[in-house]
Amino acid sequence: MRKHAARRLNCRRTVWQGNKEGEKKAIMKIRVGVFFGGKSVEHEVSVISGLQAYNAFNKEKYDLVPVYITKENELYTGELIADIANYRNIPELLKKSTRVFLMGEKNGVKLIQYPEKKFGSSEVAQIDVAFPVVHGANVEDGSLQGFLRHYNIPFAGCDVMASAVTMDKYVMKTVLKDSGIPVLDCVTLYGKEFESGEQATYDKVEQKIPYPVIVKPVNLGSSVGIKVAKDREELREALEYAFTFGPKVLVEHAIMNLREINCAVLGDYEEAHASECEEPISSDEILSYEDKYVAGGKGGSEGMRTARRELPANLTPRKREEIRELAVKTFRTLGASGVSRIDFMIDRDTDQVYVNEINPIPGSLAFYLWEALGKPYAELLDDMVKLALKREREEQNMLTSFESNILQNANLSGAKGMKK
Amino acid sequence: MIIFGVWLAAYLVGAVWYLLYLMHMFQQNSYKPQEYGEWMRVHTNVGRLLGKCLYAVVSLPLVAIGSTGCLIAACLMNGMTVLVNKPHKAKKPLVYTPRVRRMLVTTGILYLLTAAAAVLPGLWMEANGGMLLTAQGILPVPDHPLLRNVELVLLLLFVLQPFLILLANAVNHPVEKKIDQYYINDAARILREMPELKIIGVTGSYGKTSVKYYLSTLLSTQYNVLHTPGNYNTTLGVVRTIRENMKPFHDIFICEMGAREVGDIKEICDLVHPDYGIITSIGPQHLQSFHTIENIVSTKFELADSVPPSGRIFLNYDNEYIRNAKTGKNVVSYGIAAADTDFRAYDIEVSPKGSFFKMKDETGKTYEFHTKLVGSHNVQNIAGAIAVAHTLGIPMEKLLYPVKQLESVPHRLQLVRQGDRILLDDAYNSNKNGFKAALDTLEMFRELRILLTPGMVELGEKQYDENKEVGVYAAGKCDYAVLVGKEQTKPIQDGLLEAGFPANRMILVDDLQEAFRMVNAIPGEKQKIILIENDLPDNYA
Repeated sequence: MRKHAARRLNCRRTVWQGNKEGEKKAIMKIRVGVFFGGKSVEHEVSVISGLQAYNAFNKEKYDLVPVYITKENELYTGELIADIANYRNIPELLKKSTRVFLMGEKNGVKLIQYPEKKFGSSEVAQIDVAFPVVHGANVEDGSLQGFLRHYNIPFAGCDVMASAVTMDKYVMKTVLKDSGIPVLDCVTLYGKEFESGEQATYDKVEQKIPYPVIVKPVNLGSSVGIKVAKDREELREALEYAFTFGPKVLVEHAIMNLREINCAVLGDYEEAHASECEEPISSDEILSYEDKYVAGGKGGSEGMRTARRELPANLTPRKREEIRELAVKTFRTLGASGVSRIDFMIDRDTDQVYVNEINPIPGSLAFYLWEALGKPYAELLDDMVKLALKREREEQNMLTSFESNILQNANLSGAKGMKK
Repeated sequence: MIIFGVWLAAYLVGAVWYLLYLMHMFQQNSYKPQEYGEWMRVHTNVGRLLGKCLYAVVSLPLVAIGSTGCLIAACLMNGMTVLVNKPHKAKKPLVYTPRVRRMLVTTGILYLLTAAAAVLPGLWMEANGGMLLTAQGILPVPDHPLLRNVELVLLLLFVLQPFLILLANAVNHPVEKKIDQYYINDAARILREMPELKIIGVTGSYGKTSVKYYLSTLLSTQYNVLHTPGNYNTTLGVVRTIRENMKPFHDIFICEMGAREVGDIKEICDLVHPDYGIITSIGPQHLQSFHTIENIVSTKFELADSVPPSGRIFLNYDNEYIRNAKTGKNVVSYGIAAADTDFRAYDIEVSPKGSFFKMKDETGKTYEFHTKLVGSHNVQNIAGAIAVAHTLGIPMEKLLYPVKQLESVPHRLQLVRQGDRILLDDAYNSNKNGFKAALDTLEMFRELRILLTPGMVELGEKQYDENKEVGVYAAGKCDYAVLVGKEQTKPIQDGLLEAGFPANRMILVDDLQEAFRMVNAIPGEKQKIILIENDLPDNYA
């Protein structure tokens, strides 16, 4: 059944473009591997976001390699992988595609067919830059980033540390609080702690946070597992619900007269800019998973683009600027890179703005927030690749030009704990 | 037969080792027959080569006589050959590149063919009653018992191996040329397919490697930069860098260009077509192959000649040869001395934190730079890198940080803070001019300036004069001189005293530990800066 497999996707590194003299001219293109999917509850959303990005890249400049990460974290590539229609029947798609693994070599990272061919080259493609478009724990939280880092390949978006910090809402709040960025106080709870002492858990929450409270898994995005509780009974229900999604939850005060505003930031520690602001329209008390990804009409296959929202958000120029500035400050405080979306809450009663969460890889890469400012999606992707390359060369420079092995001249014979 | 077996085994070991040594030398001479030939003519090398085949030569009469006793003696001689040819650990050992392997195979085949050609006809005739039968009939061939002597022929071949290498090279030459050309064409194709890539050529007698690293660091603040690694500065080195390391995302390629002969730079330029060029310095280096300084100047300026009208050639105007050379190109000048340069580093100050200097951009705005590096040549090289980086669109204020990040090459006038003392570590230097330049740098410090040196060694006849010369020079440049080795540093002592250096500030010690004790004992509140000059072990602690 593997006869379709092992087609080299980019064996030609160049394309032929006509120039003005009418003769053909070859141009070398940057080879970008777009990674999506993965072992995450937001697997499907990631496939949509990933292929959206795949299609939006400027093909004159980039040679694209789609890399689908299955829910078992296996990597697949092939021509069919890039077409969303094929994901209705994933087993069939995988049968017709090529399973690969990454191989780091001195001059680049290669995608090698697995199992390898007995004869001939098993190289399927080579990539210069990795472009992860993944959502949720196990991928977006620094796991995929660490995996890519291991191969010394430049990759777009946040690095390991920023990804990990933003993914745990408690850690994120702590870091932001330290820099004086407004966040709501919270309590974190473990599922086992709750099982063994419900009463103590309620006391712990009630001592610090006044009702109504909101309960959410500490490391899930896309509003999964979130419920509001107005009393102890509802708190029990909300906790039980949240613990079905993860072992650690976070409880904070629920702002009842709430406005939510989202704003994306593009850049890195050195230079970062804020996008337009949007206001997601909630059908319930909080924006649920269905609101975000499913309610958009045609079964959600258009991703975040069709989620209900007001764009630009109806804000006074002053409030808009306050939020955009706060977004950039948050982005830089967390050491984010590439494009991230920061979700804010405004308490209508007090007009106070709070940072709610930051998505290191937002759904649809929040491209619609940039389009609203006149920046096309392809340009956003271009900027992200440039930032990936910038981070890579800054890391290279850190290693300095003079390599040396400290052990070379060391006396190792008497080293502690060293076996003879 | 057994004796012959022993003889042959020893012979083979010796011959292979000798061959590898010669191959190594051929590689070190860049596979250039002419340079290799020159190398062979150098006195010490003639001696070395003779030494390696001495026992083979001594064996010649022994195997010619051919008695059992003589052959046993010949076996011993071969044993000696093995001993004298035993490979030494080299600083830069022979690299078994595909080319070297191809050449070794060819040499082996030539060996066999010549040996067979010499021996077989005689043996054949012996077996066939003195006649050599060929398709054409009977051929008279020279025959002599000695020609039938396999040992003799092999020994002669052993002695002739230095030339056998040249022959093998000549045989392989057309193939090598084809292979090289394939790689060159492939590199040219890659460059053609990257029309946006900007290429900067870097050449000069000194400082080009430093400038390349500095420039690469500065340009990396804004661009994706590839530079030729190490001293890959020949055409094939450049080709290899392009083929192995060039990525589609690179914006700039910095290409170091080395020259041994007229036309070398042009050859690289014809491949890469640089948009910009920088000539860091010109001096009488490789005069053997260039013959005149004019040839060196014109070779370095082959880079300027290759720069297109839209490009720029950056020239170090502190260098007289460069300043006086004519070029019709768009020149951007830089330096530290001359006042009329486009980019000039001025108000240079040196402190234990490194060098501070000022530079202006084209609008006349002044920027104050700080670098960990010291020494006027370093500042000069940094000024050149700043000139290029700024011309390529990086604002001056964005260059302040990367200039501060530049690292010094270890033991090359490297500023090291060690506890409460500051070292100016120039331990790898070993020539007079470098010594003087380091003293010039020491002089610029406001701290208590201490010279610590064992003097220069292995200078032969010039030992006394050159050491005395730096002694005289040092007299006005340091406050204290700590000299390691009372006897050895006599010439420096003479020089210092002759120039009026106070005798009570000249401290003679026996070893390094004592030297540092004495340095610590020098009285005064002032911070001490210690120039460590020449040939000291790596570890000072």
